[in-house]
Amino acid sequence: MMGTSDTYLIRPNHQEKFKPAVVKECIREVVRERLTGVRYDDEEVRQLSTTLADSIKDRVKKAGFDRYKLTVQVVIGEQRGQGVKMSTRCFWDADTDSYAEDVFITENLFCVVVVFGSYYY
Amino acid sequence: MHTEKKRSKEDTWKAADLKRYIAEGSHEDGRRGDRGESLEKHYKESRRERDKHREYYTGGRVDADEMYRHVERRKEGSQDRRDDRERNRIEERLMEKERRRERDTVDMNSGEHIKKTDRRRRDREETQERERDRQRQREKDKVRDKYTDEERVRRRQEREKEVRREEGDREYKHYRDRRSHESIDKGGSEYTDKYNRERRERHRERERQGEEYGISRSEKERRERHAERKQSEHKEGKDYQDDRRKDKHDRERRHKEQRHHDEKQKHHSESREHRDRKRTEEEVRHHRSDREAEGDKHTERRHKEEKDPKEHFKERTQEMDKELQQTNSSHTQKAEETKIVNEKETEQEYEDDFEEYEDDFEELDESDNEDGEKEELVEHKEELSLEKREEIKAIQRAMDEENKKVGALSRQNTTEIKEERPKWSRESETTESQTPQRGKFMDFVAAKQREVNKKVASKQKKRSAELLRLIDLDFTLTSSLLDLPPVNEYEMYIRSFGTANTKQAYVQCNEDNADRDIQTEEIELTEKWTQHPPEHSGACGGENLFLYDFDFGIYILSLFSDPNISPKTRDGPLNELNIDSKRLTTFLQSASQVLIVLLEEDEAERNSLRKLRTQTDDLSFSDGGLQLNTNLPFLQGHHISLIHFSEVQKHTMISVHTSTTKPSAVLLGNHTLICIWNIWEPSRPQKILLYESEVQCCCFSPGKATLVFAGTTVGSVVLWDLREHTSNHYQMTIGDDEWTFRHPSFSTDAVMSASGHFSTVMSVEVVPSAVARGQRSEVSLLAPKEEATGLSFQLASLDESGILNFWVVVELPKTNVAGSPTDLGLRPGGKVKLLHSSTLSVVDRMLHRAKKSAHLQMLRLKFLPTDSNHFFIGTNMGTVHHGTSHGLKALPKFYRDLEGNEKPVDINSISFSPFRQDLFLVGCGDGCIRLHSVSQEKPLIEWRDGCAGQSVVSVQWSQTRPAVFSVLDSASNIYLWDLLKNETKPVITEGMGKDRVTAMALFGDSEQRNTYSGVALAHESGKIQIQYFTSNLTVSSLSEVEKLTSLIEAI
Repeated sequence: MMGTSDTYLIRPNHQEKFKPAVVKECIREVVRERLTGVRYDDEEVRQLSTTLADSIKDRVKKAGFDRYKLTVQVVIGEQRGQGVKMSTRCFWDADTDSYAEDVFITENLFCVVVVFGSYYY
Repeated sequence: MHTEKKRSKEDTWKAADLKRYIAEGSHEDGRRGDRGESLEKHYKESRRERDKHREYYTGGRVDADEMYRHVERRKEGSQDRRDDRERNRIEERLMEKERRRERDTVDMNSGEHIKKTDRRRRDREETQERERDRQRQREKDKVRDKYTDEERVRRRQEREKEVRREEGDREYKHYRDRRSHESIDKGGSEYTDKYNRERRERHRERERQGEEYGISRSEKERRERHAERKQSEHKEGKDYQDDRRKDKHDRERRHKEQRHHDEKQKHHSESREHRDRKRTEEEVRHHRSDREAEGDKHTERRHKEEKDPKEHFKERTQEMDKELQQTNSSHTQKAEETKIVNEKETEQEYEDDFEEYEDDFEELDESDNEDGEKEELVEHKEELSLEKREEIKAIQRAMDEENKKVGALSRQNTTEIKEERPKWSRESETTESQTPQRGKFMDFVAAKQREVNKKVASKQKKRSAELLRLIDLDFTLTSSLLDLPPVNEYEMYIRSFGTANTKQAYVQCNEDNADRDIQTEEIELTEKWTQHPPEHSGACGGENLFLYDFDFGIYILSLFSDPNISPKTRDGPLNELNIDSKRLTTFLQSASQVLIVLLEEDEAERNSLRKLRTQTDDLSFSDGGLQLNTNLPFLQGHHISLIHFSEVQKHTMISVHTSTTKPSAVLLGNHTLICIWNIWEPSRPQKILLYESEVQCCCFSPGKATLVFAGTTVGSVVLWDLREHTSNHYQMTIGDDEWTFRHPSFSTDAVMSASGHFSTVMSVEVVPSAVARGQRSEVSLLAPKEEATGLSFQLASLDESGILNFWVVVELPKTNVAGSPTDLGLRPGGKVKLLHSSTLSVVDRMLHRAKKSAHLQMLRLKFLPTDSNHFFIGTNMGTVHHGTSHGLKALPKFYRDLEGNEKPVDINSISFSPFRQDLFLVGCGDGCIRLHSVSQEKPLIEWRDGCAGQSVVSVQWSQTRPAVFSVLDSASNIYLWDLLKNETKPVITEGMGKDRVTAMALFGDSEQRNTYSGVALAHESGKIQIQYFTSNLTVSSLSEVEKLTSLIEAI
């Protein structure tokens, strides 16, 4: 760290790069496992969303995206025929950073999970 | 040690440089520490101890070994320290004098006397203290900067840490790391071995000198350090990490070295007996008896240790953490401390793995120590007096206070603290007694932390600045994560009110299956046609209307022959209804005409016999005659101006009935009527032509008489196409009969004003076709049919002003019922028209010869029958002009009377002989009749009183006899000349009496089978009488033409 010419790793190598498809699969598995057959209950869901986020984060961490800061957002809402629109916009380095999202919808609830991976340079 | 040397440099160092130096220094320390015999000894000792433990606890229980190792050591240490204590006390007293701060230490140390458990550590601390004091002394002497000194101290501490770490490392490696790097290490081992030995020697020396506290020692140290520095300086430029790696490597190497060394030392010199013994012990593992010797060594080692770290630990105590002190003071707290350390370590995010790696050892080390101390605890339970506990509490309190201060200052700087913390924790065991000193140096810690903080912050800032150049951030497109449309009303309804498993459906019940019915009856259809105007029988028709067939004519004929013809034959054709109506109509027309002619002839013959008888009385030349039925209502009052026979159809006659001047009750009084007669059918005219103005002259078309041309007083030339269907013409029913009045098919009236005539057309003549030329005799027989087929011939019209126009008769391929848009002269439905061909001005040619005649009028036009190029025009000057339409002028140009004079006499008639076509007769207004030959200007014969002074109206050759001609004068006298009988006067002169004859025309057919000839006389009353000549006038004798020729030649 004291060298005059510092060298930085500003790109993840290929294996470690954030792969939305992989992450999406992780999300899907976790969400499917945890939410199938669950009825919406606003008391429960509060806790459920945080635990879901944590488990997804852990799961994604295992996927080995080194030097990635992971941000997991879980939104669970009740399905009552209302219209819902969710969208995202990011200010980041598109070369390294990415996100994966998955939507899980049942009769009475919907769950949107977004995982953002931003790279530590 | 080397600090003295450094100090001079450090005076002016900046913070950054210092930092770097610290980093390097730590390496140096590490390196030096490695080489330092104290460490080695320490290590060896621990090894030895372990070995000993193994001896005690047979069965290779390594863990247990470890457990008891420390206990053993402590036991040993206690013995050593007892020796040392005396010395320590002296030192402490010295320190008291020197520094107020040292008082604390002394207090601590005084308390320390009682504490047996921590003896070893305190000893070490005391020695450090002593050493530090010595340095302080030196500082004072040299008036050194306090801060730089502290820096140095810190460095030293770090070095110490390194050493500690290495210790742990070695220990750790000893039972953990079995990887062999001996191949690498062997090379260096020899050297290090020697070096270590040297150092050990030096230390021993120092030990000896230790009590003197002389400057000489410090000098020596300085020298020593200088040498070390030299060694390390060459590495300064290298990367920090590199160094670290090297360090690690070194450590490993050394670790092995030492093992190696152990083995080596067995074979070493006598001076190392005790060590050899130790090694052998290690090998044999059963030398309990060596403990005394070891103990000696141990004291040595201790001493060395004390000397070595005394500098390192000099100020260490001041910077002690709470946790560390806790560890020192109470064994229970120690465990906590390690935990905290571990926790903090996890927080050290940016610390590299090396440190973590070290920390691992640390923990082990500590745990070893702990275990050892636990053992100690067990052993020296009695020794843990209340005093000790109180002291611990006091220390805890002091540390709490300090922590509060430090915590306030260094909350943000946790990372830096953490860096150091592991080191402290390592040192904590030994530096416990020095904690009271901490308060004095708090500010430096904070400052240092801030500095480090700043450094790290700037480093991070630099990093971010450099990185941001390389990275470009951008906005991603807004991507939709979830789009859940609202449920529509029907679904909502079903969801909220509908029951499950129901669905709404819509069914239409047969509504579009409507019936349709038609109530009207079927319309019967028959095919019929009609024509307008419906003037004849074929005007309308249908499928069942035609009862006739092609063989209708046969049927008609059979009617005549056999009136009782069976209806069966009629029924036959009735069934065949598929008939071309148009073709049938034409057939019926022609057939009916034939029938009518047949019927009329039949009747006329019967009548003529009767009439002839009656009329022969009247006329000497007549062999009987008949009267055409001009007693028609529309012909009443009309004056007949002209009678003309067709040259080909010799029984077809034209009679021109001029319009009447007197007002007539009769229709068409102001019109000129032209009647086409068949002299065999006198009962009624075949066709009636109608024209609005007066017709001056007219003629038939050559060949079959299908066209009638007429020149009118208004200067127009008109033509009628007799073939036109009657239905196309104006039909009028007068009485019981229906008459068709035909208007001209074509008129040049307004169309060709530029090229037409501007005065009365005096004569219209068909230009004889050139084909007939030279074959005159046969022309009369063959020409009609030939010319009838192709309607292509020329027409010439002459007006009185001398303009001679030539027209081409054109038959259009098809009629246009709507009328021609381009040719306004053509009647709608008309097929034949005249095209203007050329114009000749005959007057101009004549005028230069007869200039005096101002009023030259052209009266008659005749063409030479054998050559259409030559035309002959009769004028009002008694001359006949001879001209050609094209080519050279023909001679003679004029035909005059015998005197050759030009006098104002009208040429009323010119007639070419049908037998001798070079001969023509000229009838003059003064009653003179001249017989001219074409080739001579003067007449062959001139009969001056041929008409008894009356003007000649008409003169005509007989059609059957070459030598006979007839003359009509204005006094209605008819003169018949027979040149063979009498060449000077007429053979018959007949006056027509009270009914004046206005026009005369001779007719006749020279056919052998049925030769007839006669004269048609138009009376003023409107009657037309046809008189047949008697046979002597009709039938020509043989070689009559020759006789005439000879006669003429005779004349």
